[in-house]
This record gives sequence, C-alpha cells and structure tokens, in this order.
Amino acid sequence: MFSQIFNATLETLYMLLLSGFLATLFGIPLGVGLYLCSRSRRLKTLYALLDLLVNIFRSIPFIILVLLLIPVTKNVMGTIIGPNAAIFNLTIAAIPFMARLAENSFNAVPSGIIDSSNSMGLNKWQMVTKVLIPETLPDQIGNITVLLINLVTYTAIAGAVGAGGLGQLAINYGYYRFQWDVVLYAVIVLVAISQLLQFTGGKLAKGLRK
Amino acid sequence: MILSVDRLNLSFEDKSGRRKILDDVSFSIEEGEIVGIVGLSGAGKTSLLRTLNLLQPVDSGSIMFDGQNIVGLNESKVRSIRKKIGVVFQSYNLFRYRTVYQNIAFPLKIQGIGKGKIRERVMSIVSELGLDHRLSAYPSQLSGGEQQRAAIARALVMDPKLILLDEPTSALDPRTTGRLLDLVVNLNERRSVTFAVVTHDMDVIKRTCDRVAYLQNGKLHFFGPTHEFFVKIENNEVSDFGSPLELETSVLSGQKRLLRVLFWGERTHEPVLWEIAREYDIMINILYGKIEELKNGPFGTMIIAIDGQRQDLFIEKLRDSVFFLEEVG
Repeated sequence: MFSQIFNATLETLYMLLLSGFLATLFGIPLGVGLYLCSRSRRLKTLYALLDLLVNIFRSIPFIILVLLLIPVTKNVMGTIIGPNAAIFNLTIAAIPFMARLAENSFNAVPSGIIDSSNSMGLNKWQMVTKVLIPETLPDQIGNITVLLINLVTYTAIAGAVGAGGLGQLAINYGYYRFQWDVVLYAVIVLVAISQLLQFTGGKLAKGLRK
Repeated sequence: MILSVDRLNLSFEDKSGRRKILDDVSFSIEEGEIVGIVGLSGAGKTSLLRTLNLLQPVDSGSIMFDGQNIVGLNESKVRSIRKKIGVVFQSYNLFRYRTVYQNIAFPLKIQGIGKGKIRERVMSIVSELGLDHRLSAYPSQLSGGEQQRAAIARALVMDPKLILLDEPTSALDPRTTGRLLDLVVNLNERRSVTFAVVTHDMDVIKRTCDRVAYLQNGKLHFFGPTHEFFVKIENNEVSDFGSPLELETSVLSGQKRLLRVLFWGERTHEPVLWEIAREYDIMINILYGKIEELKNGPFGTMIIAIDGQRQDLFIEKLRDSVFFLEEVG
C-alpha cells in the first residue's frame, strides 16, 4: 500500500509542478496583457473580450471544464486519461486564474511608480520587464503559491476522472473499496504538500519584500 | 529659454460637468533659473507640472522645450523628450525592491550605458548629495529626507536640462527642509541645473526662486521676479499666502501720517530712511518692520509714522529711493 501511496504522490507532484509551471509561464504574460489593455484607450474592447474570457473560464467548475475539454484534450494530448491529459486540463483551468491574480498585483503597483517610470522615458517592454515584474515580484511569488495550492485540490479532483495521483488512489481504494486508511493517508499527504508550498512560498516572498 | 508655455488649457470631465484645470496659462523658464509654480491646493499646480512632463495631455496650447513644440508628439518622441526632463515626485516614487544605488543607476541602465560609466556617474552624484553610506539600503529603510535625495539623485543622473520638483518640502521637517533648499540652490549654482518647483511653502519661494508663477483656480495671476511677488503679497493682491500685518492704524497714528515702505535689493541695508529724514528734518516712528532674505537680495517692509514741517518733500524724495511707497490710514 505504501509503495502505491508513494507512486501516487509522485504523480500528483508531477501534475502539480508541471501544470503550475505552465500556468505561470502563460498566465503572467496574459496578466500583463490584461493590465496593459485595461490602461490603453485604444485596446478597451480587447480588454473587455479578454476579461470576459477569463471570467468564463474561471467560473466553470473544474470537473465540468474537464468534461467540456474532452474532445480538445483528446486532439492535443492523444488521450483523456493519465497525468499528461490531466496536466493539459489543469493548465487550461489555471492560466486564467494566474492571469487574474497577476493583473491584480500589477494594478496594486502605486501609480506614482508608474508615473515616474513613464517620466524616465521607458518603453512598454522596459515598463513590463524592469518595473511591473520586479515591483510585483514578492506578490507574484504569493500568487504562484496560491495557484499551486489550488492546483493541489484540482489534481485530486482530476483523479476522479482518471488522472492518477493521490486523488485517484483515494477514490479507487478508499471510496469504492472502503479502505478508509488509504483515504486518510492520501489526505495527510495532500495537506502536507499544501503546507510545504505555503511555507516555502511565504518564506520566499518575505525574503524578497524589503 | 529652456521652456516656454503658451496659452495652455486643460479641463477634466467629472460628474458636475467640465471643469477647467488650467486656463490660458503662459509662462517661461530661462536656462539656469529656478521658477516657483505656486498656489493653493487645487489651483492646478500639479496638473501644470504633469503637463510639462507630458504625463497629462492638454486640450490646447503649446509647450516649447529645447526648441520644439512638445505637445502632440508621437510616443517615441515623447519618450526621448522625457529623458531630458527630470522629475522628483512628491511621494518620491523610488522602486521598492531596488537599492538606492540601483534606483539611481536605473535611468542610465535602461539606456544601455556601460556598468563602469554608470558607476562613475552615480558615485559622483551620491557623494554630492551625501548618500554614499546608504547605497545598499532599500527605500523602506531610508528616512524621508534620504528618500528625497535619492529621488533627486535619480533625476540628476540623466543630466537633464530641467528638473521638476513637486511639493518638495511637504513631507519634511524644518531642518530637512533647510538642507533640501540649500541643496537645490547649490545644484542650481554649481551645476547650473534649471528647476521648476511646485510649492505652497513660502520658505521655498523665498530661498530658491528667481521667478514665481502664481496660479489661482487654474489661471496664472502673476508671473515675474520673486520680490515683485512679495510686493503683491504686501499689497494684499495675493491673499492666499497670508495677508500683511493689519495695523490698527487709527489708534496708532493719531493725527500723524502713516507710510508703508518696501525696500528691495542693495538699498535695504542702507540707511536711506535716516538720511532723508535728517535732510528734511522729519521725525520718524517705526511702527512695524521686517526684512525677508530672498534668493536675489533682501526684501524689507516697514510702516512708519512721520511728523515734521516738510512731509510732502520728504515723501517725494523717499519714494525715489525705495522700491515702493504708499500712504496708509
């Protein structure tokens, strides 16, 4: 049983970290896009569109999203079960979430800092890479932490529809076969992962904050 | 002339309709001078400052800077103009997660200037501003005065043609204010940096400004040398900055004539009054007097009661020798 739990833990971590990485990779640029569009008069309509899309994807419950994405997942990943198919689903669900968190952090940068950056003659690219990202770095670490902890829950849900990992283990052994100790161990591991993420993220963000 | 503003208009839309922020404002800044943009809160000072730096687009009017009209330029041209104008904001706006050194080096770094050259420039400026020992500190670890000096250093490092200071003394204690004003005058004299200072602080105007642009409800009510601005205040034409002393003239004078005399410049320290009074055999009673040290010379105000035979001749002679004279009471 413990080797099963160990393998499931590895699967969960694999799904978690890879989808978290991909969601950050695409989510933060999307957040930058949202932020820049919201501040440009010309791109107001584009912002309204992106904003709506983000809202729609964020309001669909994850389990439903997985079902809706089945044809897409099949096309892109070649399968709809297993960790890799789950990573696709998790990433799609997490990108808008990450984008929104990132956008909120950009919005919280004091307008004076934006003004003074503008007054130095920075171009858009420098504005993003030299001001927005560095000025929100501790907040973005916090955002990534929140994202990953959310993804812990999502991987467990994905387990219910064949993703593997601790979620599937808990459902197959615990729920269907009444092996409640397996459920308990799975939950303990999931809680431990969340705690570890929170602790590490908190420490990192605190270290960066001056 | 480094900057000249011509018939600038700016208005904002809000719930109550269109509100005029700047109304046909025209003035200019000569190279090497310090111009005060003064007025009460809401007079349009900060809006004017923002338009000068192109952070705020205007409705109409022109801003000539460095030989070209900078209103309505495209974005890349605007960026290159901004690099020639340094701004020190009221809230300093230092980057929170960069050290003092990194903050000051930042404007040079984004221009792709080499590390060695940046270091050289930053070090020469920080030693002048007394920040040498704080280079590796973060803004949150600095005092208000230090933050401001770091912001000034960040503006100076680009060697701008003009530095805009927004309410530089609003958050400083009296001693730090004194140091700041010395610094500004110093930079102006030694590096011939041109400044435009937005302020409502009389000390700033007195000690630093060569000329004053006085705004009231978005209109430019006065633009001229600082001492003339003080004459306006003494003559009660500018009431925002405290009215001159109200003497109970009826009680004080009795049957004597009262004169209000303003001195400016060299003559303030000469015994003009005494000499002329002796010449015409006039008795003088000084009821009130003060001298302000303006940047370009002392400025004195005096209220005197006179008594004697040849009062009219005395007044005429005195009028020629002082900056301004009027009978009161």
